[in-house]
Amino acid sequence: MFDRRLYFHLDWLLLAALLVLSVMGISMIYSATQATTPRLYQQQVYALLLGLVALTVALSIDYRTLADKSHWIFIGIVLLLIYVMFFGVVRGGARRWIPLGVFNLQPSEFAKIAVALVLAKFYGESRRQSPTRADLITGAAMTALPFLLVARQPDLGTAVTLLPIYLFVAYLAGLPLRMLGVAALAGVLVAPVVWKFGLKEYQKERIETFINPYKDQKGAGYQQIQARITVGSGGLTGKGFTKGTQGQLRFLPVAHNDFIFSAWAEEEGFIGVIVALGLYLLVIWRSLDAAKLSKDRLGAFLVLGVLASFTFQVFYNITMSAGLAPVKGLTLPLMSYGGSSLIATLTGFGLILNVRMRRFTN
Amino acid sequence: MRTSEAAKVPTERISAIQVAVCIGFFLLAGTFWFFQIIQHEQFREMAENNHQRELALRAPRGVLYDRNGRILVENRPSYTVSIVRLHTKDLDRTIRVLAAVAGIEERRVREIVDRAKTLPSYRPIVVLQDATLAQVAAIMARRLDFELPDVVVERVPTRRYPTDAMAAHLLGYVSEATDAQLAADSLRPGAIVGQAGVERTHNKDLMGTDGARTVVVNSLGREIRTLDEVEPTEGRRLKLTIDYDVQKAGEDGFRALGFHGAAAVLDPRTGEVLSFISLPSYDPNSFATGIDRVTWNALNTDKLRPLNNRVIQGRYSPGSTFKIAVAVAALEEGLVTPDFKTHCSGGATFYGRYFKCHLKGGHGTVDMRHAIEKSCNVYFYTLGNMLGVDRIHKWATRLGLGVKSGIDLPNEVEGIMPSTEWKRKRNNEKWYAGETISVAIGQGQVSVTPISLAVMMATVANGGTRFAPRLVKAYDDGQGWKDLEPPPALDTFRFKPATYSAVHDGLWMVVNAAGTGGRGRIPGLDVSGKTGTAQVISLTGRKNARNTDKDLRDHGWFVFFAPRDNPEIAGVIFGEHAEHGYSAAPIARHMIATYYAKKRGEPLPVFTAPGVPPPTPSQEEVPLEDDAPRPVADAALTPTGGER
Repeated sequence: MFDRRLYFHLDWLLLAALLVLSVMGISMIYSATQATTPRLYQQQVYALLLGLVALTVALSIDYRTLADKSHWIFIGIVLLLIYVMFFGVVRGGARRWIPLGVFNLQPSEFAKIAVALVLAKFYGESRRQSPTRADLITGAAMTALPFLLVARQPDLGTAVTLLPIYLFVAYLAGLPLRMLGVAALAGVLVAPVVWKFGLKEYQKERIETFINPYKDQKGAGYQQIQARITVGSGGLTGKGFTKGTQGQLRFLPVAHNDFIFSAWAEEEGFIGVIVALGLYLLVIWRSLDAAKLSKDRLGAFLVLGVLASFTFQVFYNITMSAGLAPVKGLTLPLMSYGGSSLIATLTGFGLILNVRMRRFTN
Repeated sequence: MRTSEAAKVPTERISAIQVAVCIGFFLLAGTFWFFQIIQHEQFREMAENNHQRELALRAPRGVLYDRNGRILVENRPSYTVSIVRLHTKDLDRTIRVLAAVAGIEERRVREIVDRAKTLPSYRPIVVLQDATLAQVAAIMARRLDFELPDVVVERVPTRRYPTDAMAAHLLGYVSEATDAQLAADSLRPGAIVGQAGVERTHNKDLMGTDGARTVVVNSLGREIRTLDEVEPTEGRRLKLTIDYDVQKAGEDGFRALGFHGAAAVLDPRTGEVLSFISLPSYDPNSFATGIDRVTWNALNTDKLRPLNNRVIQGRYSPGSTFKIAVAVAALEEGLVTPDFKTHCSGGATFYGRYFKCHLKGGHGTVDMRHAIEKSCNVYFYTLGNMLGVDRIHKWATRLGLGVKSGIDLPNEVEGIMPSTEWKRKRNNEKWYAGETISVAIGQGQVSVTPISLAVMMATVANGGTRFAPRLVKAYDDGQGWKDLEPPPALDTFRFKPATYSAVHDGLWMVVNAAGTGGRGRIPGLDVSGKTGTAQVISLTGRKNARNTDKDLRDHGWFVFFAPRDNPEIAGVIFGEHAEHGYSAAPIARHMIATYYAKKRGEPLPVFTAPGVPPPTPSQEEVPLEDDAPRPVADAALTPTGGER
């Protein structure tokens, strides 16, 4: 199953980039939490090790075999999500976790992989030039099920990351561009109506705050302003490891989690930012290369499906880190604190490496 | 079945994604470049304001001592409570909790905060000055619980002035600098500066340099560590020329006699001010911790004008004390010798008008010495007529009247010493020789400040050297006392020996012979002096104002020096509405006695009520003295009757 040839075709560069980003994340988690919970970073180290095991497993089994079993994986995840709904651990008002003794498992993170697999299989097997309307609706329904389950937790942030999977895979499967255009136009037209009738007062406030954070400096705008101060005060070279005032003195909220990139920018400066952005770009670029090189559409779709939520999260989180997006509980994959997220992400990249590695095999 | 091409990987679409991702990352990099490089300075400052808090370490103001090293003004520690709004989430709650914890009125706190709303949020708003230890303890306990993280308690040195408002007008007071003062001296907001008296004139010396402690605070406002600490430097210590005991003797005297007024006592050899009194007074301590509006308004609207520094700001008619200047003028001009005699029959006619002397029967034939002793109006009418107003003006000015004394206190005013030029400039009118007659006895338009009369007496006492009154003897920068170089005399003109002896003899006789200054007498001390009365209102004016409740009683002067030969102490007592100069004399006597008792190491005297010892030689005559040096003609010629 795992012969020496495959070993040579492994994308070592991509793997190295993933590892470096994960280690960078662990170092920032250490820096941000050393004053309060100095052992928290160890959890992330264990998660990284587990993630590497998961990555190895995900890459060892031929992705086509996995795709064949994807409906079982999908059903398993949906069941887990339903289980969470009733028996999950509540934290911060949301029921997201299954306690596993050592750590808490967050099934929604793995839902992304399941959706990517099932959509890749569904559209990859279709031989048509472009998906029919029925195909599109079926795919949408398959995405909507876990979306609703996760959104109910409530974890709208993670739920939303499922949508790019569907969009990217459908796009790659030949979704006509004009349909995307029509959707975008409809969105623009509907927005004012939604604003007027669909949104609750606090939701409107949140959006207003995003547009002008200085309007509400102490309240909702606070985090956004502090994020920007954190980033801006880092300068070219940063304040130095564990020397960031904004993160260390807790002016920046959840510096080890949602705002880890702000903390990174503060302590490592613009140079650090360029290094991190470069690594993320490398990861995405190489993965897309893997999709291009893929032997079949299934592989390419699988890569895109996995990459979609990753890329979306990276963009959103980094934009938010600079105070340019509404603050939403979306973590930065690979760097933010969170075991399930790291393990799930590495598992996903296991699949991407898997596709590239098997580009010559039948 | 579809063609095999349909199953091919859509590489173009993937490439499109790659390009889009690249553009996205490029934009992100640009964003960070903008924030971290272009706008870095601005955000760096904001981050610093976030976590660094500069706590001022107020420099104690320099301590003020009397000439013998006795502390007059010192500093005591006090606690100031302020709110820093920088990270306040709920200002209302902070105000509510603070007011409850400190036991102060919530409405008051809110008012103060509202008034300071426009200040930058990192600047502390002082809501409670001079907090009690109980308040401080209660607030600190809540701070530790993170209940009041935005409340700062500062220990600041606060001025402590002597009790009973002693020498208040000399020492002055301090308060928070006004906006104009902040701008003028580029001070830190909230700086405490001198607003009156020595505190004001020597403010820069006294202020010292504030230190600062820069601390790192976390987002809850808790201090994490000290970044930097600069110790404050104490202000310069000043040793004043004031003698505590002489000062106290004077104030005791005023209090015992029950009237207000002013006194200035100088050392005629140097111009050093031994005592400086203006009553009624105010308590400078109430300014030190931020005066409340009620007290401030009361001080400002008080009819007795406690904020008015009578010594240098009060202008009064000098009355008979002015005869000293006329005597000096006539003698120094060489118009007369001390043996010059006139006959007083109770009045005399000048320029067709009859001018009365105060003694109905007249003084008979008097020479200079006796004219001074008896304060004979006719004698000085005659001298004045011989001198003319301009020569009187010249000598009075040389003696320090009608000009500023040059004392280093703020807002001194000058009296009026008329002359032909003065009248021309002021009214564009010619001076009438008849006007000189009233000027010669200190009536008419002459007015003086108490300090200028003190300067005149010091100048007469030392025989013709005019010094500006000095208040500071030495200073200490922390490296020991250094004497201040005495400034050169303002004017030196040696009296002719005849002038010196005649004037000194005459003034000695006022106190020790048949004059009006008997209440100033101290056996063996040769006190010399002169009484005077300053009319508050003219006779006709008095008639018109009969029904008002204004105090229209005349003011009394007593100017003096001691001893007659080579005097060491000279000065003026001004008794507001004391009616007669001799009523003020006991205060001078008590001050002189205190001065000498201290010098000789004897126990300090206790003020004795007037009238008992020593007996005044011419009791009957006294009330008449100075009473009516008024021309019989219309009162218009003597507009003394103003509300001086």
